[in-house]
Amino acid sequence: MIGVLKSMAVTMKHALKGETFTVEYPDVPPEVSPRFRGIHKFSQERCIWCRQCENVCPNDTIHIVTDDKRQGEQYNLHVGQCVYCRLCEEVCPVDAIILTQNFEFTGETKDDLVYNKEQLKSVPWYNELDPLAAREPDRGSWVGEGEDAVDYQ
Amino acid sequence: MSTLEEPEVEPDGLDIDAVHERLGDRVLDTEEHINAPGIIIRADEVEETLTILRDEFDFDYLACVSAEELPDRYETIYHLKQFADPTRELSIVVPTDRDRPISQSAAHVYETANWHEREAYDLIGIEYDGHPNLKRILLPDSWTGHPLTDDYNQDKPQVVSYKAHENPLLEHTKEDDGETMLINIGPHHPATHGVLHLKATLDGESVVDVEPDIGYLHRCEEQMCEQGTYRHQIMPYPDRWDYASAGIINEWAYARAAEDLADIEVPEYAQILRTMGAELCRMAAHFLALGTFVLDVYGEFNALSMYAIRDREKVQKLLEDLTGQRIMFNYLRLGGVAWDIPEPREQFFDDTRQFINEDLPESMDEVHDLLTDNEIFQLRCVDIGVLPPKQAKQYAATGPVARASGIDMDLRRDDPYGYYPELDWEVVTDDGCDIFSRVMVRVREVEESAKIVDQCIDLLEEWPEDEREIQANVPRTLKPDPDTRVYRAVEGAKGELGIYIRADGTDTPGRFKIRSPAYCNLSTLPVMAEGDFVADLIASLGSIDIILGEVDR
Amino acid sequence: MLQAVLQTDTVLLPERLVDLLRLGEFGVVGEFIAGLIAAFLVANIMLIMTAIAGPWAKRKIRARFTDAIAVNRVGPAGLLIIIADAVRLMSKEIIVPEGVDRPAWELAPIVVALSALLGFAVIPMGSGIHVADPEVGVVFVFAVASLASIGLVMGGYASNNKFSMLGGLRAVAQNIAYEIPLVLVAASVVIFAGSLQMSEIVAAQQDTLISLGVVDIPMWFAIINPFAFVLFLAANMAEIGRNPFDTPEAPNEIVAGYQTEYSGIYFVLFYLGEFIHIFLGGAIIATLFLGGPAGPGPESLGFVWFLVKIWAVFLLTQWMRSAVPRVRIDQLIEIGWKGLLVLSFLNLILTALIVGVITV
Ligand code: SF4
Ligand code: SF4
Repeated sequence: MIGVLKSMAVTMKHALKGETFTVEYPDVPPEVSPRFRGIHKFSQERCIWCRQCENVCPNDTIHIVTDDKRQGEQYNLHVGQCVYCRLCEEVCPVDAIILTQNFEFTGETKDDLVYNKEQLKSVPWYNELDPLAAREPDRGSWVGEGEDAVDYQ
Repeated sequence: MSTLEEPEVEPDGLDIDAVHERLGDRVLDTEEHINAPGIIIRADEVEETLTILRDEFDFDYLACVSAEELPDRYETIYHLKQFADPTRELSIVVPTDRDRPISQSAAHVYETANWHEREAYDLIGIEYDGHPNLKRILLPDSWTGHPLTDDYNQDKPQVVSYKAHENPLLEHTKEDDGETMLINIGPHHPATHGVLHLKATLDGESVVDVEPDIGYLHRCEEQMCEQGTYRHQIMPYPDRWDYASAGIINEWAYARAAEDLADIEVPEYAQILRTMGAELCRMAAHFLALGTFVLDVYGEFNALSMYAIRDREKVQKLLEDLTGQRIMFNYLRLGGVAWDIPEPREQFFDDTRQFINEDLPESMDEVHDLLTDNEIFQLRCVDIGVLPPKQAKQYAATGPVARASGIDMDLRRDDPYGYYPELDWEVVTDDGCDIFSRVMVRVREVEESAKIVDQCIDLLEEWPEDEREIQANVPRTLKPDPDTRVYRAVEGAKGELGIYIRADGTDTPGRFKIRSPAYCNLSTLPVMAEGDFVADLIASLGSIDIILGEVDR
Repeated sequence: MLQAVLQTDTVLLPERLVDLLRLGEFGVVGEFIAGLIAAFLVANIMLIMTAIAGPWAKRKIRARFTDAIAVNRVGPAGLLIIIADAVRLMSKEIIVPEGVDRPAWELAPIVVALSALLGFAVIPMGSGIHVADPEVGVVFVFAVASLASIGLVMGGYASNNKFSMLGGLRAVAQNIAYEIPLVLVAASVVIFAGSLQMSEIVAAQQDTLISLGVVDIPMWFAIINPFAFVLFLAANMAEIGRNPFDTPEAPNEIVAGYQTEYSGIYFVLFYLGEFIHIFLGGAIIATLFLGGPAGPGPESLGFVWFLVKIWAVFLLTQWMRSAVPRVRIDQLIEIGWKGLLVLSFLNLILTALIVGVITV
């Protein structure tokens, strides 16, 4: 019986303390780590269309179309099937594709989750967090790209 | 892998010549696998040979059975080990004809072979002669073809008709003898921890027979790994086997096998990072195991499950800081890890120390108050769901399930890898063999893991700045020599997580087989539950701590 | 003096209504109507309490115990969730599984909900709310409360589902095992009070046991005989099927037992019935052991005190849920027959001794 009472004392202690550990998402946006991997952002200015990201991606999430002079025409990314492994970012020689902390995106069908170049460019930073700060490459070209981009700094 | 861990010589004690001598003519040929010597035997002498090896050479542990299709033959490999010293390994290779792939079953020698052979039959199509229950295990019974064979048409969709899955009760109800009742626990049931189906036969409230029916979450993980390149593309997938936070340990299983295969050395600093990451994962996984287990015994309103989730959340936060993800880490790379400690380093060390030294002891006290001392909890768990050590070995139970049955095996100590040998920690065992022991082993393992993480933090903090090497130099494309084979295992959160790889000379594996600990542990459920009550069946199932993603792969 | 207090108390709610609404001139018909109105009022009070408890209070309490945040988005403090939930539950489709025994299946939830409500008829709730006061009040309340097990077994059996069947059987086995100790412990109270009438039992607890300066410790049976009180609490937990005795539902074992197949409004009735049962349990405990509506302050506050006591019992059930595992069905039966039954006989002897001491 003592053990049972002890157990009850533990939960009552919690109840009286009244601390909470759950959060009121979306009213209170969660803090994410600087390294957190969310949806991609793409920089056409930097991309040299080397296709390494397309090759490394384990599940063919990235789809690149180039013309016959190897100039890029399309850069499609099926975020609905991406596993957020960050390999594309890792292999990209020029930091043209990067995973932001932004995890808040929806789509009604899986087709909505196929992002093209323009959509990928205008992915906003999450809470103005710039993932590059954690990754330390050249930040310059990321400033203010795309229409909806939150202005950096 | 790194110099710290790999024993240079063949492990003492295993006298391969004596084995050859004893087996005599049964040895057709020999092979060298990276992890063990291989002996090729005839397909109709499996049972005899394995019996000799089990009884006379102490190979009491059938770690894994891998099967594969080769251009000219089918092949089954029995990966034997010893519980007393898992570095003593031996591979028994059983080739069979392409036209008539029939091989003798080992299910009468090792119980665990039962499920392994069913899986081999299901995916490869080798038939096991004398197998007690040779039917498909992962795929539906009505499936045609064996998906891991070359002539299988991957693109042809197969619809499992409603008819094929007609209410399995119907038939039974008709011939109901009135004494027993078949009850389907799952695939959708609050306590099956995923989509698991238990066909339980009840006599009143007590369980006469229970048969786990798995495969509902089969996601072709092995096939996917066979299509990925060693260097990059396989690593994201292990996170998805035991997805309940044990990601880094799973990745390590692959990394260990592939690094052995390609002869890659991992820098010491990276080993410490791996060790720390893996132990954090183990803590998170054990917290979840505890939380879901108490749900089964306390009911859905209990507070402890939430407290366990809260603690897991703290670990996940640390892991997120370290790896960038909360569950699907993709943190390890062949030859190292993806990131060093995040900057500011002090911050990370402080956070971790805060958790290990302050939050954790406090919540462990709570766990003991809520569980260990609770009389009603003891009433439900002590001497219930008993798994005797002998049976545990037969079914190749590993991890906390085996250690709670008094089997003192932990690959971190017995088949050392990573930085474990340099650290001060203990293997937790318990002789209770019951549900209570299994839960307690996990709780105490969390404490041991905390010790390891603490030591790793100290080491990392003091490591000279210019020697923080997190990644060895690994070529961009790895093409291990054709026909090299390796089976390597790490101590996963649930037990021995092993990977068997056969290289075929390309940059993707020829065969990739996952030895899932939860799969083998789950097969012990009938031993635990038969004769007990329904409620005990549920509690036993919870105490095994299965993750269906790992069971079905 | 005591007589005077008693006098005011025994004026029952229907009689007051007769006076108030001048129904006296209609004779028996008038009394009947007054009785109906009284019953309607009491039933509604209980339903409102359930409505607060089910969708709102229970979640809030649970969140408190588990360090979580609960219902706080709809309305102030999330209170409007009650309406939202009511609409949601009532608009759900009623799915009738194949092969159910229709009449029994449909009757079961009604039996469960009604049986508990009936019990409130004889409970003196203070502030003059007391529908009926038969001389065999205690017997009546236990009789109707145990009707619920018929509802449970009906639901379990008629559902044509093995989980429901197991749940129904468990419910019956459990109720039989715990009703006897429950009644035996109640009998010890009857020995004290010397009456089966609820109002008499309450009145017997009004005296002051000892005076400690400003605080008067009342002669509540819980204070005179704590042993009986604890026994009754334990047996009551089993009777209302809450942890550690929630085996008949046990969602992790048999899904939800007898209510697995119910949906829509039938499910609401079951749910309601369960909560009213908890409250009835609380009401019985309050009446038999905690002096009914007694408490400091004017007598008109009696109903408030009564509610406080009921909610305290409700809180206790939720508290137990947060920390106590559920026992297995065989252990539960064993505890009932071998433990509680024996203890409740002991309690009878103990009570006899206490009564002896007091009267001497
Ligand atoms: S994160 Fe991984 S899965 Fe996603 S696009 Fe990049 S490489 Fe592909
Ligand atoms: S790897 Fe980088 S540069 Fe190359 S195609 Fe992809 S995004 Fe462009």
